[in-house]
Amino acid sequence: MKIGLEIHVQLPTKSKMFCSCPTTEAPGPNTHVCPTCLGMPGSRPVLNRKVLEYGIMLAKMLGCKVADTAWFSRKTYFYPDMSKSVQITQYDNPIGEGGVYYLGDKPIRITRIHVEEDPGKTKRTGDLSSLVDYNRSGIPLAEIVTEPDMKTPAEAREVLKSLIEDIRTVLDIPGDGERSIRCDCNISVGKERVEVKNVTGLKNVEKALTYEVVRQSKILKAGGKVDRETRRFDEERGVTISVRKKEFEADYGYIDEPDLGVYHIREMAESIRIRESPQKMAARMAGQYGIDQKMAKQLVNTSVDLAGLFENVAGKHGTQAAVKWVAGPVSSNWKSLDASGADVKGVIGIIDRFVAGEITDTECGIEIKCLMTGEDPEKAAEASGDLDKIVSDYLDQNPGIVDDYRKNEKAANKAIGFVMKSSGGRYSSSEVVDAVKRLIESRL
Amino acid sequence: MSMRSTLETLERVNSKYLMFHAKTSDTDPGDARFLFSAKDNLTSKDMETCAGSRILEGYFPPFDATVIARMREAGGKLIGKTNMDEFGFGTFSTNSGLEVPRNPFDLERACGGSSGGSACAAAVFEDHPSLGVSTGGSICCPASFCGVYGIAPTYGRVSRYGLIDYGNSLDKIGVLSSKAGDLRRYINIIAGRDEKDPTSCVQPELKDERTPVRSVAVPKEGVEGLSKNVEAAFTNALDELRRMGIEVETVDMPSLKYAMPAYYVLATSEASTNLARYVGMRYGRQDGDLSLKFDDYFSDVRSRYFGDEAKRRILLGTFTRMVGYSDRYYSKARQVREVVIDDYKRVLRDHDAVLAPTMPFTAPRFDDISKMSALDSYKADYLTVPANLAGVPHLNVPCGYDGDGMPIGMQFVADHWNENALFTMAEDWEKEFDLRRPEVSA
Repeated sequence: MKIGLEIHVQLPTKSKMFCSCPTTEAPGPNTHVCPTCLGMPGSRPVLNRKVLEYGIMLAKMLGCKVADTAWFSRKTYFYPDMSKSVQITQYDNPIGEGGVYYLGDKPIRITRIHVEEDPGKTKRTGDLSSLVDYNRSGIPLAEIVTEPDMKTPAEAREVLKSLIEDIRTVLDIPGDGERSIRCDCNISVGKERVEVKNVTGLKNVEKALTYEVVRQSKILKAGGKVDRETRRFDEERGVTISVRKKEFEADYGYIDEPDLGVYHIREMAESIRIRESPQKMAARMAGQYGIDQKMAKQLVNTSVDLAGLFENVAGKHGTQAAVKWVAGPVSSNWKSLDASGADVKGVIGIIDRFVAGEITDTECGIEIKCLMTGEDPEKAAEASGDLDKIVSDYLDQNPGIVDDYRKNEKAANKAIGFVMKSSGGRYSSSEVVDAVKRLIESRL
Repeated sequence: MSMRSTLETLERVNSKYLMFHAKTSDTDPGDARFLFSAKDNLTSKDMETCAGSRILEGYFPPFDATVIARMREAGGKLIGKTNMDEFGFGTFSTNSGLEVPRNPFDLERACGGSSGGSACAAAVFEDHPSLGVSTGGSICCPASFCGVYGIAPTYGRVSRYGLIDYGNSLDKIGVLSSKAGDLRRYINIIAGRDEKDPTSCVQPELKDERTPVRSVAVPKEGVEGLSKNVEAAFTNALDELRRMGIEVETVDMPSLKYAMPAYYVLATSEASTNLARYVGMRYGRQDGDLSLKFDDYFSDVRSRYFGDEAKRRILLGTFTRMVGYSDRYYSKARQVREVVIDDYKRVLRDHDAVLAPTMPFTAPRFDDISKMSALDSYKADYLTVPANLAGVPHLNVPCGYDGDGMPIGMQFVADHWNENALFTMAEDWEKEFDLRRPEVSA
């Protein structure tokens, strides 16, 4: 089985690709529009250069060869939401070609990446009528095309998930749910390739592909032949439906876009530095600090900033301190940062004081937690004192746990379970886990 | 004639010559410093803009074309939108879906095209610059047939923002007028960079200076197939040029004969994509049957409101860019364009301008045009197409009249960005040439 993906990602520019309309949430349908994105006769495109920059960043992230010159082409097709009936895209000279993306150790070859404009949206309002909203018309997109290197629908989903995470970090796009990911999925169980167009979201990609695996396998088992065709995914029914056979494939009659010139982007490409992608960062951290893959991934996946803090502390006080504090209480309280709005960099000062012997192990844990949650340190100390006391008492009574912990960290679970139960929900599980681990480790 | 009297007689004059599709009803020029008109494929906020097509009936653009805005800023008052071949597709302005302008020297004859209404207005009104657009010769041809000066500047000299596209890599906005000095004056107003049209942003500055033409090259290929009266007038004009001290040399430009097929391939390829947007939504004609499926809806609107020539060019242009044909036609045509440019560059190294008659014959009668095939009229453009394909600036100057008193023109072609040579040539020629104005009675 072979699976290849064509992934569409909206680029985070402030204005549209060929006009100055904003790309932000619009107050209503057809409010972020102008003569250019409505395709009014006499209007003309002017390129937003930021689009080329983002295209280059993605091409670099994917290890593609970046083109020295860029130009655009016209793809002609008739659809109500395509205002000019012409999409400005890149055809014979994508901004990047021939890259590789690694999912762990597995290479997924990248055929090409190009930039183009998004059409508007058509909304069916009844059997006989549709409405068109052009707010999306002209929003810049990158299209990433992979080789058919994925072997299962689950793997395709994994690749897509991690790729999207990387793209968000490198382009600094806020997480906006998986709905904004649009994908054309190519899948061949036998020889013939079937394309499922415009699937939205990770789950649907996996569902659509799985449906195709079953459908194509059945046909092949029965001795039939799979038609080479384009299909679409019906989200509600969870099935794919034939749209057109290969012989009716559209001929888009590409020509170069004469209103936009040739852009010499070599210097621009050379000057662009990109952020390390989360997958690469996790792999590097595991090697550099000798921590296991799982911890590195967990740090990076929680937040690239958390991983950055880990590196900062490890650089200053060694990996052990970073594992103990950053992968410990900082990581487990990470989510509360949103509510407290605290500056997590303050953690470094606390750890400095611990390393200098100014505060104890317990105090350090409490201060970090309070900084992150915004809790009152005294109350927390009191509560934690109580918690520490419960844990210590238990460990005093059950010294075997510390010995068992040396062989298998899971031994701590017994103590955790006891404390959770006996404290009657006064402490969160992460607090209990932290306290138990910290106190066991202090007895090792 | 004062501006006021021009405005007061506008209605009557137009009903005779049909140069305007839309026109002002003002009779008071207000504080206008001059009056002007513009081809109907240039967008204007205050006047319907149809580009000669029924499919755009009712389109009031929400913005002014840059050229119209610049003319207004300079104190110009737009008095009308001039009739033209639909989207610029023609040589005689007879392919208009709206009104067909009449030649001021003989109402039974065509004005030429596609900027026919502009040439007509420039000939009929005194002191009247009219903005035209040339894709394959649409300024020089009607200027020649109507006996006025007309210039199409270098591609990229004048912003195309607000121009309803025919062939974007070929379209150039220029000026027609019965006064040679108007070309310099008004091109200087409309030229210059405009961030709304990126192709206008690579031009060198247009300096206001005299650049006399000292030698012209006449290509052998440019004097073939001429009618007797055009040949005679051109021969006399060459003598006049020599008398003015300009060297005239005959040269070979073998590439010129390939320009015509290359032009029609490129122009129609681009045109067929430009016209794809007319689907009966958002602007213009939107009176199709909404109960039809989208494909049937827009096919119906397009079938009803596009003229035959527009349909022909859409089919031609769609064919030449299809998979399997595009290498043979579209890509090849682009290579030919490079060859033609090289040929001009070669000749213009040793000469200041290339010169030939503008059209091989004088303005034809409407009844003769109706007998011509599409191919016959395409062929009539063989003298104007090469310079347009190469994007070099070119100028029509009136150079004589045939036995019926119909004007004859010749076309000077200069190197890229060297409009000054053409302005100066027109100004020098005007001093020597006895320009006839049509008898205007309304």
